[in-house]
Order: sequence, then structure tokens, then C-alpha cells
Amino acid sequence: MSLKFGVLGLLAEEPLHGYELKARFEAMLGGSWEVNIGQVYATLQRLERDGLVRAVGTRGDRGKLAYELSDQGRSALDAWLAQPDSGPQQLREDFYVKLLLASRLANGDLRPLLGRQRRGYLQRMRDLNRLEERARREDRYDLARLVRGALLHGEADLKWIDELIEESTIEELKGNE
Amino acid sequence: MSLEIAAGEFTAVMGPSGSGKSTLLNLIAGLDQPSSGTVVVADTDLRRLGESGLARFRRERIGFIFQFFHLLPSLTVLENVLIPAQLAGRPNASARAFELMAKLGISDVADRYPARLSGGQQQRAAIARALINQPALLLADEPTGALDSRSGELVMKLLQDLHHGGQTVMMVTHDAKLATRHAARVISLADGQVVDDARLDTADRGPAEVLRIRTEELA
Repeated sequence: MSLKFGVLGLLAEEPLHGYELKARFEAMLGGSWEVNIGQVYATLQRLERDGLVRAVGTRGDRGKLAYELSDQGRSALDAWLAQPDSGPQQLREDFYVKLLLASRLANGDLRPLLGRQRRGYLQRMRDLNRLEERARREDRYDLARLVRGALLHGEADLKWIDELIEESTIEELKGNE
Repeated sequence: MSLEIAAGEFTAVMGPSGSGKSTLLNLIAGLDQPSSGTVVVADTDLRRLGESGLARFRRERIGFIFQFFHLLPSLTVLENVLIPAQLAGRPNASARAFELMAKLGISDVADRYPARLSGGQQQRAAIARALINQPALLLADEPTGALDSRSGELVMKLLQDLHHGGQTVMMVTHDAKLATRHAARVISLADGQVVDDARLDTADRGPAEVLRIRTEELA
């Protein structure tokens, strides 16, 4: 999610100034992302320049300026919400590149790499389980829903690694014949 | 294969079907005999036990719960729970049975027959039966496999509570989410071999270390 639409979405609820936006955005993400206040202000300035938000009234006692969503901003937000995510599948982790390189470098035996990564995935699932429990305890069902998705990704990663380990084992056996 | 499980551990055993998960539990429970090697449970070498010794061992040291509960249909919940105590020659186990059933939330169905219970209630009755003789080791073979998610969660919470009370638990599951949620140690089998024995870090991590919600870098 980009900060731009996060800001537009939060302003759709009510006018807010920069620090309130930062705090609400971080709370919405359950503490998983700390936002730089400078980025919030830069985003607000860009959005104002593009006519998507506008300042409400004048600067308050400590120089705080609240912003509200313009009609144009509302349309941009609605269009973004209605647009399903497609485009390339993101494989952002180093492991994918390690796997490609190890296929060339490790005399063909990928099992040590795969075994270590399997541990990493198990640990990640443990941590995600904890985070889901915590989110539920704090009545953050919206966040728990996301964590559940992440856990299913974890399960898929593990299944994939198991397939690769099985494949490598069969290849190793063939090589030894 | 060489494995050592410490008292008080909650261990999950994972692996695809046919990998030997259930066989491993059956060997530990003395239900199967190893063709070679030894199984030692709570200082007892199972090879040294004869048939009746093994039966006594199973009755007194092992609690076993199964995916499909395996309650006797012609006996009530209370009677099912009491069977292992009666076989062990403990006729006065009713107090413990009632205590267990209360703890597991099935006191109100004590006089019903299994067919009249939900899956979750049947599994809780099976847990009470498994615990009646205070076993050293509780073995659970896919304990939530036949339950809806709500009953499954309740059963897992009960197993977790037992573990926190000091019970050693070994659970077979093919469900990685369940395994990593409840067990600090995950043993993975493939083709009858231990392919991994992972002790997971149980420290709580902050959300930012566990999850990152964003799809693009900030401009």
C-alpha cells in the first residue's frame, strides 16, 4: 500500500493534520511500519498540488494545518479501491535469487540451502501465529485477517520447499546410481 | 532415527502421509514393535516388557487421542472416561473423571452416548479418557483432523492448557499452521526418516519484525 492512498483513505473519514495522519496510519498497520513524518508532509504537499486534498482553515496554535479530501481526491480513492491488484507476482525475498545462484554454485545439491530456508519459514509461521493471537487479543480483527493470509503464504512456502527437497533428494539418488 | 523428547515438551510431528508419523506414535505407545532399536518412555525400555507389561504400560503411562475419537459407542461418556482406570484396577476414579470432565466442559453430557455428541464433545471425552490415569505422555494423532475449526481450536486450547500444566504432549499433524502455533519443537519426517528437528525461538517479536504491509517503496 502506498502512503498516498493511505492518506487519502484516512482523510475520507475526517480532516486530520500531519501528526494525526502518521499516528492513525501506524495504528492501522498494527505497528508493522513506522512512517517518517517528513514523508507524510511531502505526500500531503503533493496531494494538495494535485488537487486531491485541501487545507482546512488556517494554521492552528502550534502551526498545525488540517487537511480534508477534495471531490477529486474522493474519486481517486474510489478508483484505487475498485482496482484489483494484478500485474507481476512479487518475489521480493533474497531466497529466490539465492536459489537461482545455488543451482549454479553448489554442485547441484540444494538441500542444505533448502533445509535452512525451511527452518526460516517454520519460525516465520510461529511468529505470525503469535502476531495473530495478539491482534485478536487486542480486538484487531482487521489485522488478524491479514496475518491469516500471511500464514497461508507461509504454508505454501513450506509446501514448495518440501517439494524442492523431495526433488533434490531424488536427483541425488539418481546421481549416486 | 534417533529422537529424545524431554518431559514437559510440546512436540509436533509433521510429514506427508506415509512418512511414518503415525507409526512413530504407535512405536512410542507400544502399539507397534520396532524391528530393531529401542524405545524408552519414562525410564521404561519397551523391549523388556512382555505382552501384559506392554498393556500395563499403555494403560498407565500413555494417553492417546485419535483423529476419530475411538470412543466405545455402547458406553456413556463417563463410562468411556473410566475404562482405563477400571482396567488399571482403580475403582475410585470417579472423582477424577468428574474433575476432568468439568475442566474439559463436558460434565453436562456425562450420561450421554457418543453418537449423541458433537465431534468436539467426543474429542473432549477422548481427552478425558486419555488423562484419567495421569499419563507421562499424551500422544495426539491429528486430534483436530475431524473437527470443524471452532471445535478444533477449543481442543487445541485444552491441549495447550494441559501442556502449560506440565503435561508432555506429542502431536502428529500435517498442518504446519497448527504445528507452529502450539509446538516449540517441530519434527519433520519423510520416508521414515527424521529430516528436520527444529526448536523454534519462542520469544515474542514486535509486529515490525514479523510483518511488513506495503507493496511499494515510498517516493
